[in-house]
Amino acid sequence: MTALRRLGDGWGMLVLPLAAFLLVVFVYPLASVLARSLTDPEPGLGNYAAFFDSPVYLDVLGNTFVTAGLVTLVTLLLGFPYAYLMTVARPFWRGVLMAAVLVPFWTSLLVRTFAWVLLLRDTGVVNALIPGEPVPLLRNLAGITIGMVQVMLPFAVLPMYATMRGIDRRLLRAAEGLGATPVFAFWRVYAPLALPGVAAALLLVFVSTLGFYVTPALLGGPKDVMIGELIVQQLSGVLRWGFASALAVILLLVTGALLLVASRLVDLRKMIGSGS
Amino acid sequence: MTGAVDVRAVTKRYPGSLALDEVSLHVAAGEFMTLLGSSGSGKSTLLNVVAGFTEPTSGSVLVDDADITGVPPHRRELGMVFQHYALFPHMNVFENVAFPLRRRKVRGAELRRRVGDALEVVELGALGERRPAQLSGGQQQRVALARAIVFQPRVLLMDEPLGALDKRLREQLQLEIKRLHRELGITFVFVTHDQEEALTMSDRVALLREGRIVQVGTPQELYETPASRYVAEFLGESNLLDEDGGLLLVRPQHLRIGPPDGPGLRAVVREVIYVGGGLRIEVERPGGQRLVARTTVRPEELPRPGDEVVAHWSEHDSVNVPA
Ligand SMILES: Nc1ncnc2c1ncn2[C@@H]1O[C@H](COP(=O)(O)OP(=O)(O)O)[C@@H](O)[C@H]1O
Ligand SMILES: [Mg+2]
Repeated sequence: MTALRRLGDGWGMLVLPLAAFLLVVFVYPLASVLARSLTDPEPGLGNYAAFFDSPVYLDVLGNTFVTAGLVTLVTLLLGFPYAYLMTVARPFWRGVLMAAVLVPFWTSLLVRTFAWVLLLRDTGVVNALIPGEPVPLLRNLAGITIGMVQVMLPFAVLPMYATMRGIDRRLLRAAEGLGATPVFAFWRVYAPLALPGVAAALLLVFVSTLGFYVTPALLGGPKDVMIGELIVQQLSGVLRWGFASALAVILLLVTGALLLVASRLVDLRKMIGSGS
Repeated sequence: MTGAVDVRAVTKRYPGSLALDEVSLHVAAGEFMTLLGSSGSGKSTLLNVVAGFTEPTSGSVLVDDADITGVPPHRRELGMVFQHYALFPHMNVFENVAFPLRRRKVRGAELRRRVGDALEVVELGALGERRPAQLSGGQQQRVALARAIVFQPRVLLMDEPLGALDKRLREQLQLEIKRLHRELGITFVFVTHDQEEALTMSDRVALLREGRIVQVGTPQELYETPASRYVAEFLGESNLLDEDGGLLLVRPQHLRIGPPDGPGLRAVVREVIYVGGGLRIEVERPGGQRLVARTTVRPEELPRPGDEVVAHWSEHDSVNVPA
């Protein structure tokens, strides 16, 4: 009662439209997916049993995690120096770097993914630049990774840049004055201060990558099926709606568990906030 | 004793400005040297050249007769304290102070003892577990001091370390820094734009102006025998009188105000103010020049604004200043 009254007597009212919207487009569909996974084609845990009984499906789940881990690793390795460069660049170049991250972000995912097909196929631009036999870059893990890393880079660069921008670079100078080599100063001072941004990027990229569909579908091969593709297959291919729902629930639960563990290890609120 | 610093003909040119112009300065081992000057005069640049953060365009820096001009800052073994404290926010006080020692592979009981000692020296022994953000400005600067001396540097460099503190804290820390200097016996190079701070703290003061040192000497020398009008006006209040081609300096405490029939310079009283237990009397000469007299004894007759008076002084209280 008191909570409701507190909501009612002021600005709290402003959250009601969003709450209603979320209720309709998020909570309700989620509940119906959960319900369908437990009732279609017949009530019970059959869909879940089918998943855990078959090594094929477990492989897909495992592959999803491996791919997401690889993509996350590569994205962070590329994104960290990029974000760092943005913090030290002059305003003009910072703008250029920012645009280079954001412009693809604003371009259709489908268009970008097809562009990668053209670039990466055996007769594509990339292979034209590599002498000798064409290197297989499409329909395999390499293709998936390249495509997804490019999609995920903004999600890694932006939170890391936000954190790094707030780091007082004079601290590095102070550290060097106290006898630290630049490398020592980087690991003992800069890296720990950048960690909240890195952790935010890691979670954001990993969790987003787990549910990817378009990119692995177009750039991956038959061995690299991710759970998102499996869901679509089950839905539109073999029309096992109940099983597809169970897959979605499993993905959601695993992701949720992951976030829970992560929140134990690091302060999520701090990461999403200023990171200071 | 070690820690003598020699700056030899150091020039630092930035695009569009000459921050240091052939500066030479010798700081004796164990000395408390203050670089004094208004904002933009090149104090920080000079200190950073000594620290190694700024590479001079030309010239060299020597510590104990060894040329360290090209040596990176982390190999110079000099302590540095900044106006903005520069404490590491992700480490507690203990770890901040331990930082230079960890870098030097000091571990275990010795590490704890030395950090503890350094914190004792700055009277922060009990605060090791705190984060910098949980400390007041004065406490933060003391941590920074402890961190800068814990590895026993030969020279401690300080760039306006008290600039961010309020007046009372500043005065308290001035005393502590003086005490630290006595106890450690190492060379201090201290930067400030506050002439009072420079005069009270230093063995010697180097006054900078537009990238040059205009005078080096003890506080007394700079105050009593300034080398130029600029120095005289920079340090304390001064009355500068043009006297057939020369310049005569009479400090306000030496200027007397007397009845208009006596000998001296004729003037009209403009203001009479009580300050710090004494009187500050401002008079105006016919040409418009203002003179200031300070006195702790009350004249028999208190002058009032508008009174005609004469200003006079004894011969031995006035100093000729090279124009
Ligand atoms: N990194 C820099 N780039 C360009 N000019 C600088 C730089 N650092 C200092 N200067 C210039 O050098 C002069 C002296 O600066 P500084 O040593 O910081 O003065 P102070 O510490 O006495 O206030 C100033 O004119 C300043 O503008
Ligand atoms: Mg300065």
